[in-house]
Amino acid sequence: MPMIWNRFRYGIRALLGKNPAGRRLTVFPDDVFIVSYPRSGNTWIRFLVGNLLDPDDPISFANVESRVPEIYFFSDQQLLARARPRVLKSHEYFDPRYKRTIYVVRDPRDVAVSLYYYSMKRKTIPQGYALEEFIPKFVAGEFFDYCGSWEEHVLSWHATRKSHAESLFLKYEDLLANPEQELARIACVLHADGVPGRVARAVELSSAARMRNLEEKHSSEWRLTRGTRQDIAFVRQAKSGGWRSELSAPLVRTIEQAWGATMKNLGYELLGDGNGDLGKS
Amino acid sequence: MASLHEIIRRAVGALVTTGRVLTGRQIAGRGVTVFPDDVFLVSYPRSGNTWTRFLLGNLLWQNDPVTFLNIESRIPEIYFNPDRFMRALQRPRLLKSHESFQPHYPHVIYIVRDPRDVAISFYHHNVKAGNIPDDYPISSFVPRFIAGEFDRIFGSWRDNVLSWTALRQGTPGFLLLRYEDMKRDPATVLAEVAAFLEGCSFRAIDARPEALKRTIELSSPERMRALEKQEAGQWVLTKGTRRDKPFVRSAISGGWKSQLPAESLAAIESAWGGLMQSLGYELASGTVSPTMVSHGEIS
Repeated sequence: MPMIWNRFRYGIRALLGKNPAGRRLTVFPDDVFIVSYPRSGNTWIRFLVGNLLDPDDPISFANVESRVPEIYFFSDQQLLARARPRVLKSHEYFDPRYKRTIYVVRDPRDVAVSLYYYSMKRKTIPQGYALEEFIPKFVAGEFFDYCGSWEEHVLSWHATRKSHAESLFLKYEDLLANPEQELARIACVLHADGVPGRVARAVELSSAARMRNLEEKHSSEWRLTRGTRQDIAFVRQAKSGGWRSELSAPLVRTIEQAWGATMKNLGYELLGDGNGDLGKS
Repeated sequence: MASLHEIIRRAVGALVTTGRVLTGRQIAGRGVTVFPDDVFLVSYPRSGNTWTRFLLGNLLWQNDPVTFLNIESRIPEIYFNPDRFMRALQRPRLLKSHESFQPHYPHVIYIVRDPRDVAISFYHHNVKAGNIPDDYPISSFVPRFIAGEFDRIFGSWRDNVLSWTALRQGTPGFLLLRYEDMKRDPATVLAEVAAFLEGCSFRAIDARPEALKRTIELSSPERMRALEKQEAGQWVLTKGTRRDKPFVRSAISGGWKSQLPAESLAAIESAWGGLMQSLGYELASGTVSPTMVSHGEIS
């Protein structure tokens, strides 16, 4: 019965052109995609990019979906009506139709912690759910299963778009350490470089402190936070290395055993380093 | 403002989709239901996928040879069959796909073919499909082929191959086949595939030399061409395409040496040389620089 209902609902939505675009999105060759695994700094980049492209009308959670829309919130038809070139947010694993991508990768140990609190915020796990239960499921790719696992997601884009003329592969940690330098690289890909002061201004307008203030104002309206627990923030710590105080050594080992080789290749130092037996099976 | 024509086209499209969804006849495609024991036969288009389907079908159903009419109920192609139809097939299933990397495919046999031969085959295929005129120069086709313009959802040859090999090569549940090895020594490759399928929970497969010999004969280009002549009007992949251009074409490897213009050859090798070499395809232009070899590896 629920299957028939789902089919019916899908059919009606298809008739009205209301199904979210997602993977069915019509892709134009000039589209720019901000791509990442969830909780890896995607929203921050949307703010940075939006503020870079139009500093006179700063990005907030109230207008971000109209400036840098997320492909899961709008139908293909709605997105077709947007001015081109479009800048779109996506969490898809490799999609060969995406020609211009800004990919951001983040230390999976920090992603794990961030995703843990975010899942609690979204009520997909209950308050007090043990990290010991969460981490193995995260490693198995059970959360956001349409994305694949963290490693599959990262590798699929890294292999195909890292050394690609119109694409960029960023690390969240570099963005935190040198936001202006990294945003300048983004500006280059967007052909939005050349106006002095713009990059610095966009970084300022997209600070964690400012984003937290805006979240307080708009979080009950924004699609992504509407209906979630308001006592847990969407803009959380916005720093790197938080896993050191949050994850026990065995949990860190679980992550490093699964993805150690890829983490090392991306320049993430392993806690369990030196014994040589970590890495991809 | 959308034109009236556009509005009608959209409305008809939406109606067709709705009707298909409501009656369970929507083509599965990327939305195919995946079972944990499924094996996907994946390749870029024109890389020997149909031939491999014949080989595997004849290997698995040794008493009832594969034709173009029964292939879709044996090893169905996900782009031509509704999910409901494929869900009802006996498991474990073998399914044909052209997707680039899909994390949820549990077992994958990936067929790769020399892109210089793929280019020629794909060129003729696009003439057959009416996408380009008969006299369209192959030298104009190749740059568009490199950019992946003809099959947008599957990406370019490079994107398709690299996305699979970078993620799955060397892992259990992934078998990489080269079309050229299958041409040269089909029995050895088939024995390897049989062992792989048995490891993926398929029943025991008769892979004795005489069984393999018969399987290969039943899947020969001559037999496939004869079957195509009889059945092309009914098979979903050739229905409505030009009859004067065959689907089963030369079925050879190395045709590029005589058919590919020098500039097209150079274009392919300079775009994909590193990846080609890592797959064992010798370049006409000689060894490429190490920076190109690093395609697909983390540097």
